[in-house]
Amino acid sequence: MRFLILVLTAPWAIAQMPTAPEAVTAGGQLYMGSCSGCHGKTGEGSQGPSLLSGRASRLGDRALFGVIRNGLPGTSMPDFPLANEKVWQITAFVRSLTAPAISANVGGDAARGRAFFFGEGKCSGCHMIMGEGGYPGPDLSNIGAERTVHQLRESIAKPSARIGDGYRGATATLRGGRVVRGVAKNFNNYSVQIVDGGGRLHLLRRSELAGLELTDESMMPAVSNGDAVTDLIAFLARRTTRPYEGESR
Amino acid sequence: MKWASLLMFPLLSMAQVTPAAIAKSPNEDWLTYNGDYAATRHSPLRQITPLNAKSLVAKWVFRVDGAKKLEASPIVYDGLMYVTNTNEMYALDALSGRKVWYYRAAGAKGTRVNRGTAILGDRVYFVTADCHLVALNRMTGNLIFDVEYASFAGGYTTSIAPLAVKNGILVGVAGGGSGQRGFVAAINAETGKEMWRFWTVPAKGEPGSETWGNFPAEMGGAPTWTTGSYDAALNTVYWPTGNPWPDFYGGRRPGDNLYSDSVVALDADTGKMKWHFQFTPHDVWDWDANENLVLVDAVFRGKPRKLLVQANRNGFYYVLDRVTGEFLHARPFVKKLDWTTGLDDKGRPQVIESKIPTPAGTKVCPSVRGASNWMSPSFNPATGLLYVVTLEQCDIIVASAKEPVPASGFRGTGNEGIPTEPGKFYLRALDVLSGELKWEYPMPGPGVMWAGTVSTAGGVVFSGDDDGNLVAVDARTGKDLWHFSMGHSLFASPVTYMVDGRQYVSIAAESAVFTFGLFAPAGQ
Repeated sequence: MRFLILVLTAPWAIAQMPTAPEAVTAGGQLYMGSCSGCHGKTGEGSQGPSLLSGRASRLGDRALFGVIRNGLPGTSMPDFPLANEKVWQITAFVRSLTAPAISANVGGDAARGRAFFFGEGKCSGCHMIMGEGGYPGPDLSNIGAERTVHQLRESIAKPSARIGDGYRGATATLRGGRVVRGVAKNFNNYSVQIVDGGGRLHLLRRSELAGLELTDESMMPAVSNGDAVTDLIAFLARRTTRPYEGESR
Repeated sequence: MKWASLLMFPLLSMAQVTPAAIAKSPNEDWLTYNGDYAATRHSPLRQITPLNAKSLVAKWVFRVDGAKKLEASPIVYDGLMYVTNTNEMYALDALSGRKVWYYRAAGAKGTRVNRGTAILGDRVYFVTADCHLVALNRMTGNLIFDVEYASFAGGYTTSIAPLAVKNGILVGVAGGGSGQRGFVAAINAETGKEMWRFWTVPAKGEPGSETWGNFPAEMGGAPTWTTGSYDAALNTVYWPTGNPWPDFYGGRRPGDNLYSDSVVALDADTGKMKWHFQFTPHDVWDWDANENLVLVDAVFRGKPRKLLVQANRNGFYYVLDRVTGEFLHARPFVKKLDWTTGLDDKGRPQVIESKIPTPAGTKVCPSVRGASNWMSPSFNPATGLLYVVTLEQCDIIVASAKEPVPASGFRGTGNEGIPTEPGKFYLRALDVLSGELKWEYPMPGPGVMWAGTVSTAGGVVFSGDDDGNLVAVDARTGKDLWHFSMGHSLFASPVTYMVDGRQYVSIAAESAVFTFGLFAPAGQ
């Protein structure tokens, strides 16, 4: 009976992960001091595993709290016997690393980001949001729910770091000499499907082609202006096709 | 820098799928759920014939990740095939089966199956299980709009393949088993704004509302979960409606319960009803009339007429005049039919009292699944035959007078099979005017299929069977020509199309799309 009461009143069993931005920020400061040495500044992993993918990213909030507080015996993950409130703050920060951008607190000016997207940045020449914009880049209508802030930043500042499925640059030369240039939606030894800059789809058989070049370099130019990146993130982080209702863990 | 020219690429206009092009379907393409507005599912393609059908071979298989029960009839346009599963759509290279793009409606709720796509302009359209209409660019899958047309939170859900008519995308809802009020809505294909809505249960005080007693229209059912037909010359949309709710107990809804179990003829521009015909007044057997409405022009009793025919779930094959809605003829197309002594000269059935379900259970034929259902029939004008998958089965139906609560799973209670009398499926060829049986092709199996048919000018009818085969039979005789076992149960109807001069036949099996064509030596 005493044990039962203990379990029911254990602070980590009844506490909730804080969601206030201040708690996430406070958690970030604790993380930078105690965790980033092994897990990297953005959770990308170094000596310790990545927190952005793999087991750590799949743990429920309470399980993650438990690992931070108690460590993982038999591994180099030590315990952090801090006040529960602080452990919860770290938990909230780690969780924010993998949270969709829509649920993250982002700085920047979304209106300026929109203006850049459809104006000076020429992003809308290749990307579309709810029918507005161009081809053949990825549709960004729901990007705020599909990517973390970290991923958005990487895609904008280092577009070649990761190219999504169906967006590899492709140049196909047909036997007659005609050239089709765009992104390869799919390809194998027998066929290739290319969307060109006009949004037209070309269904090609490899036997029709004199050559097919695929590039690992993104067609997208990097955005180097730091303010523009921040504003773009602010704008893109809020792009969802439906009101975002979060995900429970 | 070599990409600079691409970035500067002008936005050239794409080939547009016009209403005129849809009116000519099917040809090489298959542009609506049923291929044509008349829902004949008859293709002019004639490369595959009774003589060469035995040379059909599998060309490709596309597995739909996570699919448990594909029910979609694919659409094919310009070498691209569109297939839907719950809340998602795939565009496939129709020649190779390779995925070109994939769209998942993020955040969509509900798990109901999906039956397919509509295409118009440079867009394809489908519905999510939570009643949003989604418009996508047909070549890239880019999202154009996602609009809600009925409230999932309010109990609505849907599985329908929408129908593109003029500048509208027509959609419907499920709800016959859960107490929602059915409707057909036309949504502007360009803007996503609703243009008109026809409620299949009249509001209090409207004509027809007197056929419900005091039962609330909001709970009436009469759902619109299958795709209607369209006659451009008459500017009329024909939509079939489902059962009144609760399905099996009618005591709280005295009267005919209009416009449940009916066909409603609607003005294509306004949605105003021109006429209606009710197949099963005051239904207590769950005999939705959502079976395809096939539009046929023929000489009937010496006079050229525009007809509408339907092999109804209640066991009768009906012939109506689609200009006026006049009942012309009906005839049973199953042997197991015992609920009525027959129809009067207006097509109204005389119900046998002892066949009205009771709390103790009542044996009724046909079964709740019906003599046929949403599995698509097809009609070949050259043979004058309608090819329809039929089910010979009876059920025990149990009724309850319990207070009905919508969206609670309560249907006025339900049905159970009779273990010693399992259902038997047949592909039947009916004379389209008389409904007389010309031939039948038995389909032994576990009694689980919901697959339909496609007819071709080559004289071959393709149908799924109850044992997981796609079968090809001779349109004139029903003789078996070819079959292929997909190792899946079948819940969809096949389509046929042509790419690069070759005819193909496709069908969605449980978790994959299979495509067949005539054997061609490698490299050809």
